Amino acid sequence: MDINVELLLGTKVYDANGEKVGRIEEFRAEQDGDSCRVEAYLIGASAVIQRLSAWTLVRPIQRVLRSRKIYSVFEVRWQDMDLSDPRRPRLRIASKDLRHAR
Amino acid sequence: MHLIRDVLDKQLIDREDCKMGRASGLIMQLGENTQPRVTHIVIGGPALWMRIRPGLRKLSTKLAHLWGPKRKEPVTIPWSRVKTVGKDVNLDVEAKETGALDWELWIARHIIERIPGGGSKEEE
Amino acid sequence: MKKILQLTLGIVTSVGGFLEIGSVTTAAQAGARFGYQLLWAILLGTLCLIFLIEMSGRLAAVSKHTIVDAMRERFGFPFFFFVLIGMVIVAFLVLVAELGGISFALQILTGIRFPWWALPVSLLVWLLMWKGTFSLIENGASLLGLVTISFVVAAFKLGPDWSSVGSSLIPSLPDSDKANYGFLAVSILGASISPYLMYFYSSGAIEDKWDRSYITMNRIIAGFGMTFGGFLSMAVLVAAALALRPKGLQVDTFPQAALLMTTALPRWGFYLFALSMLFACFGAALEISLAIAYFFAQGFGWSWSEDLEPSQDARFAFVYTIIILLAAVPLMLRVDPIKVTMLSMALTSASLPLAIVPFLFLMNDPIYLGKHRNGWISNAVVAIVILISFVLAIISIPLQIIGG
Repeated sequence: MDINVELLLGTKVYDANGEKVGRIEEFRAEQDGDSCRVEAYLIGASAVIQRLSAWTLVRPIQRVLRSRKIYSVFEVRWQDMDLSDPRRPRLRIASKDLRHAR
Repeated sequence: MHLIRDVLDKQLIDREDCKMGRASGLIMQLGENTQPRVTHIVIGGPALWMRIRPGLRKLSTKLAHLWGPKRKEPVTIPWSRVKTVGKDVNLDVEAKETGALDWELWIARHIIERIPGGGSKEEE
Repeated sequence: MKKILQLTLGIVTSVGGFLEIGSVTTAAQAGARFGYQLLWAILLGTLCLIFLIEMSGRLAAVSKHTIVDAMRERFGFPFFFFVLIGMVIVAFLVLVAELGGISFALQILTGIRFPWWALPVSLLVWLLMWKGTFSLIENGASLLGLVTISFVVAAFKLGPDWSSVGSSLIPSLPDSDKANYGFLAVSILGASISPYLMYFYSSGAIEDKWDRSYITMNRIIAGFGMTFGGFLSMAVLVAAALALRPKGLQVDTFPQAALLMTTALPRWGFYLFALSMLFACFGAALEISLAIAYFFAQGFGWSWSEDLEPSQDARFAFVYTIIILLAAVPLMLRVDPIKVTMLSMALTSASLPLAIVPFLFLMNDPIYLGKHRNGWISNAVVAIVILISFVLAIISIPLQIIGG
């Protein structure tokens, strides 16, 4: 299945128990010869900031906000994300098992 | 590499240092239990309008049928053609062959070159 | 030392910013109504612009990307599109006003009414962009724009009281007519701090192939260029204060503004005024048309350069062609350029935050600027400009209605 990465941006993500975790805000990838593997998804836990970021100017300062822990971002390995329904991404793990992004 | 920060909306440059638009979208291939891979960069057109409002994509496709180059599918560049990802994304392609410059060439031929002094691409 | 010749980019930018029809009309009105009292507004506008223009140049020289490139790349397409819509609407109105200024100048020189000049003037502006190179436009407009120095001559000849002039550089409130005073202060700031100047200068730096070695020169050019324009604008205000205020004259129509020159220079004043407005508005019209086309081309990733033949950057050329021809239409339909000017200035003020706020983020981005990011002074200035821009945005439209 082919999906558009830019349309996944900002989609709400739910954990294995159906609880909302946040919104997809970035994709960490690695160049691998002729293609590009997606390694992890970054999920932002602040809905307000995430909702704003596509439209206003918060995107560039998200990194700053993240590093000052003003709002949290989780890193989800590709194996732990179920994108079979791209409109409702689901984690294969529970939210308590989430790791904070660097 | 971060896809949104480093690839999306970046200027795409071809083999000859020619600007060929910006990355409007990225296509990711998902498998049942395989690692997702980004396979194509999408340029311009409908992909762009989808990001604002899905309805705009239909509108833009309808308008594109009225005039301009008639193109059925959106322009995509395979990821294998990506040379470097830095301030811009450098591609190992020739812009004219990808379809990325379809609108540019159409406007050049049908409008610009018809006006005196517009010059002609034929001379290249 | 070839770099010093690049001063022309600074001059042409500031002529287009400070001496176009909006700035001249408001400076003249301010002088006619309140004497020297509003000089501080011009000073404030000049200082803000020096910093903003320097930053636009620095971003381009260091990253080889313009403000618009960076805006699309860091904030994404939806935000860019939103700013595009706002920017095009406002810039288009200013363009109509500038073409109106050129047409008015020709009207007072020839007696032929301005609607007849609209199309020929817009075609001439278009022709310069079509056939000309960036250096030609930059140097030509600067050189011709120097005729505006006649405003300074006029101001000196009228013998101002320099200590009063000096003390008016500090803000003060008038005894009466505060709404009108506020409206003029807002208009002066809105007329000087125009976003299209930043987009033009940033693109101009790329057209002129600046790199890191231009960083110091950029500061000199931005400082000198904007000071030149600001100084000329102050001269207009001072001349109006001395020539028009004692006679109780207002500046409601374009020909009345000419009086500020003819009082000081009875023989040549009339022609100098008309020529000054002609060349200044011409430079502004070129700048704005290019700024709009640059905005589209850079935001969408098309090829763009004034040094390319139109067929080599077809979409870019198409945009400025359409824009300039459309801008002639309201004038041909006899829409009053002065009214368009006032509306465009109010809208520029109202939309200023949209242009300046992204700047704060871009100028601190290490990916674009590396170690040339803003220091605390520059950031403080941007923050102050943002504050001013929000105040302007909120009060400009109500003031236009009450005090205009």
